[in-house]
Amino acid sequence: MTKPTTRSAKNRAAKNEATPATNDVDLPWWKPWLNHGIAGWTFDLFSSVKFGIWLLALLFIYSSIGSAGIVYPDFDAGTWNIFDPANWAHDQLRQWRGLEMTEFEWFHWWPFDLMMILIAINITVTTLRRIPFKSVNYGVWMIHSGILVLIVGSFIYFGTKVEGDTPVARRQVIATYEDVAADGTKSTREVSFLAAPGTRATSGEGADQVTFEVTTIDPEWELLTGEDKGKRAYSVTVAVTRGEKRYMRQLLVGYPQLTEDLIFTDDPQQPMKRSVKETGNPIFDASMAMRLDYEPQGYFYLRNELVKSWALYVRKPGDREWVERKIDGLPLYNDYIGDRDLVFQQGGDKQLPLDPLDVAVGPTSENDPFQDVEFRINGFLRYAIPRSRFVDGPAGSPLNPVAFVTVASDRGQRQDYRLVARDPDRASADGGLLRFVSIDNETQFAQFTRQPTITIRIPSKGIEIREEIRDVAAANPDAPFVEIKGTEEAGKAAYAYRVSNVRDDVPVGGATVSLAILEVRTPKGLFRRWVFSDPSLTRDVVQPDASDAHGAPTMQDDSIQTFYEPGNGLALVSLVYGPEEGRIRLVSAIGSDAKVVDLKPRETAPLAGGITVRVEELMPRAVLEVKPLVVPREQRERDAMEIFSQILVSAPNTPAEWLEFNRWVFNGPEDVLRRSPYKPMVMRLADGRDVELLFSRQRLPLGTDIALEEFILTSHVGGFTGAMSTIRDYTSAVRFRDPGSSWSEPTTVSVNDPIEHDGLWYFQAQWDPPDTSSDEGIRPSAGLNYTVLGVGNRNGVYIQLLGCVIAVAGMIYAFYVKPVIKRRRQEEVLAGLARNGRKVEA
Amino acid sequence: MNSHTILSRSMRVARSLVVAVVALITCATSLAPAQAQDAPASSTPAATPTATPTSNANAADAAKPFVERVDLKPLGTIAVQSDGRLKSLSSFAQEMMAFVSGPREINGQDPLFTYLDMLFRPDVYRDADVIYVKGAGPRKRIADALLAAATPESRAALDEQMKAFEKTGLISETLILKPESVAVLREMRGDLIRTEKVVRAIDSAITVKDPRFLLSKLKIVPRGDGDASQEWHGISAVMFADGKEPVPGSMLLLAENKGQPEDLSPEQAAVIGDAWRALVSGWLKGDSNAVNGAIATLGSELPKISAETYPDQTRLGWEYWYFKNDHMTRVWLVYMAASIFLLLGFVWKWPRARTIGLGIFGLAVLLHTIAVMLRWYIADRWPNSNMFEAVTTAAWMGAIGAVAIEWWVRKTAMFSLFALGAAVSGMVALMAAHFLPVQLNPAISNMMPVLHDVWLYIHTNVIIFSYVLIFMAAVSAGIYILHRTFGGAATYARVGGAASLIVSGSHGEERMAKGRAALGEILDGTTMVLMEISFVLLWAGIVMGAIWADHSWGRPWGWDPKEVFALNTFIVFAILVHVRLKAKDKGLWTAWLAVIGAAVMLFNWIVINFVITGLHSYA
Repeated sequence: MTKPTTRSAKNRAAKNEATPATNDVDLPWWKPWLNHGIAGWTFDLFSSVKFGIWLLALLFIYSSIGSAGIVYPDFDAGTWNIFDPANWAHDQLRQWRGLEMTEFEWFHWWPFDLMMILIAINITVTTLRRIPFKSVNYGVWMIHSGILVLIVGSFIYFGTKVEGDTPVARRQVIATYEDVAADGTKSTREVSFLAAPGTRATSGEGADQVTFEVTTIDPEWELLTGEDKGKRAYSVTVAVTRGEKRYMRQLLVGYPQLTEDLIFTDDPQQPMKRSVKETGNPIFDASMAMRLDYEPQGYFYLRNELVKSWALYVRKPGDREWVERKIDGLPLYNDYIGDRDLVFQQGGDKQLPLDPLDVAVGPTSENDPFQDVEFRINGFLRYAIPRSRFVDGPAGSPLNPVAFVTVASDRGQRQDYRLVARDPDRASADGGLLRFVSIDNETQFAQFTRQPTITIRIPSKGIEIREEIRDVAAANPDAPFVEIKGTEEAGKAAYAYRVSNVRDDVPVGGATVSLAILEVRTPKGLFRRWVFSDPSLTRDVVQPDASDAHGAPTMQDDSIQTFYEPGNGLALVSLVYGPEEGRIRLVSAIGSDAKVVDLKPRETAPLAGGITVRVEELMPRAVLEVKPLVVPREQRERDAMEIFSQILVSAPNTPAEWLEFNRWVFNGPEDVLRRSPYKPMVMRLADGRDVELLFSRQRLPLGTDIALEEFILTSHVGGFTGAMSTIRDYTSAVRFRDPGSSWSEPTTVSVNDPIEHDGLWYFQAQWDPPDTSSDEGIRPSAGLNYTVLGVGNRNGVYIQLLGCVIAVAGMIYAFYVKPVIKRRRQEEVLAGLARNGRKVEA
Repeated sequence: MNSHTILSRSMRVARSLVVAVVALITCATSLAPAQAQDAPASSTPAATPTATPTSNANAADAAKPFVERVDLKPLGTIAVQSDGRLKSLSSFAQEMMAFVSGPREINGQDPLFTYLDMLFRPDVYRDADVIYVKGAGPRKRIADALLAAATPESRAALDEQMKAFEKTGLISETLILKPESVAVLREMRGDLIRTEKVVRAIDSAITVKDPRFLLSKLKIVPRGDGDASQEWHGISAVMFADGKEPVPGSMLLLAENKGQPEDLSPEQAAVIGDAWRALVSGWLKGDSNAVNGAIATLGSELPKISAETYPDQTRLGWEYWYFKNDHMTRVWLVYMAASIFLLLGFVWKWPRARTIGLGIFGLAVLLHTIAVMLRWYIADRWPNSNMFEAVTTAAWMGAIGAVAIEWWVRKTAMFSLFALGAAVSGMVALMAAHFLPVQLNPAISNMMPVLHDVWLYIHTNVIIFSYVLIFMAAVSAGIYILHRTFGGAATYARVGGAASLIVSGSHGEERMAKGRAALGEILDGTTMVLMEISFVLLWAGIVMGAIWADHSWGRPWGWDPKEVFALNTFIVFAILVHVRLKAKDKGLWTAWLAVIGAAVMLFNWIVINFVITGLHSYA
């Protein structure tokens, strides 16, 4: 192996081939100055290829740790599979406390900018100083100048970049009606609300109150009449309750003439009928005008994943418009608290470090109604959910026994319960089979050891029956009627009854009552009797409508008297707290006789059939605390991003409160999009004023209003089945309305096919999928009621592209054209030499 | 230094290399996860239905087990509608069974057989080890929990079963639903970072295994009206034809009789319904003649329902063949053979080995080309939209690229080295596709909407082509490093890469002339030729990706990890180009940087894809 000598002429020649030095050229006047002192050293440094290499290496390291973070193999014993994510550990450096940077921020931080500037200078100086501008070097010149153009373009692009998203709903419902006040004055009221299943709105007060609720939306309603028969239209059905009037109104986009009402009937077979069939008029309530209109959107919300863009919104309660306050200095990825009592953490977790924040949020807009109030944020949680938990209160706090109970079987099944004795809603579980009660004196205890008892008296016949209730029709629909002996009369059926249900501790008007519901048959007919433990409340119910139960007691047939003594209700297992402090007894009704056992916390008591009960924890004077529960890292959904964030906010001299993040800012509950939280909070300032707060992202005006004409889902063969892989494309047909003009014709935005309007580009980002929610109180949705568009600018993108193209051309030139030029020259020289008669050696 | 010594040393190195490659392959083959021999010994499903061959079956056939007497081919080539695609029932069954048993085959059975058997005789599969659990850690936790709860009597048998489970990952539904396993699964479900995915896969396995699910997915009855916007009917829609014998056994309980579809004629429904019933009853009786007859009827009658809209039978037939033959990933063996001969030919300068190596390589390229074209034909789109396709198509592009370059350098000393690089990359890629079906899922599915863009074909192919060239460059660079480690001279290709060929003429009479160039020079020249092409392609590919991203995501550059690491790979090569200007030992620097560049590229493909998924989560 020959060790090359650095100073050898041969080497210099080889070096000069690639990077010819300029030393032997006539120097201009300023060159000597650049050859001496610091200026000379700097000039040399920036014209050094080695310096460039170091900068590139640095760029590589910076990019790697900023993008992938730190990744290292963490193989399970016995596996070698590098494709298995479980075999890798990963930590994102830029997300660490103190940095809290998004990818964009990391690559926009001053060290990165500095690096790019140094690279740009290095490339410029080296190219000018070391690479003569001649045909063999055009490639290098092009590559280097392409990179420089790209750097310039990128400074413009990233320096001016804004990017966000905007939700655009398809329609709103606008209802207009005339309201007559008590003094006879008339006024026109207008109510608007989002067309989305489940949206509710109310207007007026008291007897004049009108409520609206969107019940169903069919985006593909088939027209059955008219010229357009067979076509499909977006159909919105609204339930209206206006005093005595209750009806549904169906509105169709593009067909206001086909608007019609559906009215309620008494026919159980067909509870709703078209008004036109019943009254001859398609509109049942002509004094209520309703129409569908676009829901214009004028803002877009900046993406937190790009640059942290938090904002606090304020308004006076009752106002509609929110005013934005930008929040600077709030983190994004880690939890910051100054006191661990502020949150709940899961047991066994590593405790959160104490790392308080202090971010001032002052007014940033002239319209801010609270110019004098500066809010402070003293805590931030990346991923937390509000949770209420019981804690044992101090000795003096009111009695509120809470028990954490486990029921387990010998087959490994296990169920945990939290029971609150004094809260009728939470005192029992499993349909009332297990319950927790608290007693004030020992006489009350007897109730739990006996079955509920019904007493029936028919004074005219001198009959009195007392019977324990063991079988109820609610559990056993085949439970037979019990005929009362001695009541038979010729031609008339005997008195008979059956227990339809037993409800103990039902909350009524702040108190609790117990009742048995009986079906009673007397010569006067069949009726239902609600027999309360308080006899003054007992009444007969003719209509099976619960509202009757709150009217004055009425008796269908007072020849039969009924009384109810509550026992342990339906409970198979009752846990009875008291009357002594801390005493808890287990009453088991399994089997014929009640068994009573004194139980201590964390002591297991056997029931029948291998089932055991155990009170894990008992809090006699529990206090309910509501705090955010910090979700452990490994349980956080990756796609959730910042949507479970919370901040701890306070105003001067007010206690701090947690405020949850909202993805978008809605003016009221009637504007909220499906799956989007709307969690504003009212805070009372020290001076008694109320302020409503909402935590979300900064928003920017679009400069134009945008509306969604329709949302089109195209699918592969077989149609959309609910599986994402059956979707071919998402398309939003949108309209723009610039200030002072009307809505434009619809233009479509679909995946890979954005549109530009007024300097901003609109991209198809998200959609409203069908959602057959089975959650109580949430109406199912056929979806397609809104779209979410990505919005962004792209200044300098063509400069970037130009730079890239120049660089590609340069690479091809340098690698493949330059050698051809060289070869031609070589051949010319060889040919010349040959002409001169000199022998050439290859 | 004596060049003879260097060569002989290099030969020693090369010999050890060959040994290493063979050892690697042997090792990989022994790790082969699929196949029947690995099927769990302890608890397999009862072989087949009670075989009672009918009288007309000949004696030889009668001796065969039911599974072998059943001819599933006519059924395997009918179409099923699944998630917006019409695919062959065999490929669909393979996909579905992969949800249950992961990369394992049950009893060495055709997945379609398992699918039907699981549907008709679910009880048999309840205690059989058919549910795949991924990862040694989760398997151990489940096994430990089960063993801890076992009674002393059952422990010995269970111990054996758990050993098999830890090895194959297969466990029975009965065991996985035991309270002690459920408790472990509950814990694992709570860890979204590490183990939640494993539990989700188990959940899917249990769901898919359920005969109600299996039946509901059998959407094999085309619509009589040919309406493409409506779903095909499930076989259960014709299962209850009026006045007929009900489907035997528990089948009736699996589906709700919703009445006969209006778009089907009663005659059509009756024929299909009868055949299906015959299939079920024949299967339960182990009557292969009845089963084969019913299968033949279904295979011929179903396409007749809507002949115009029914997928092309030839395509379905090829799809059946392609999936039956492991997506032709076994071609890795041909690539391996080519690699060995080419390595021998290069190191020993043994022309015959090189010729044989090139011949085998040619065969491998031909087979690989057929595989890619076949997939293109079956999927009806160029195969580059999922991990399996990206890996196999990239390797194919490398092989085709190598053929082209070989022709260009045919008269130089670099001849056959590109084929060697392509053979090694082809072998590695197809091995990955063959042995890691869980990670590189071979199923053909619809592309997500964002991929429907012309730039998918331009950007992705340019990028993956550059990646395979980078890998090939790392092969020659790796050999160079070995050559130097064992004392090879610090030579390098003087002008470098393509230039050395162009400058010295296309026949490479000068530096790269055969027989004259030093080993190091040849290897360095090969690395540089590949590096230069990939350098340009990578940059162009990144730019094309930016153009696509600009109109797809609204930003040409989003600092997504996958983008950043493509750029990082380019930065390594930019460093290489500049280091080559300055370094004294150009050859060694080039080789190391080429290897580092390839490592960064592979990091991007493996770690970024599977660990740090960003926006490019689909490829």
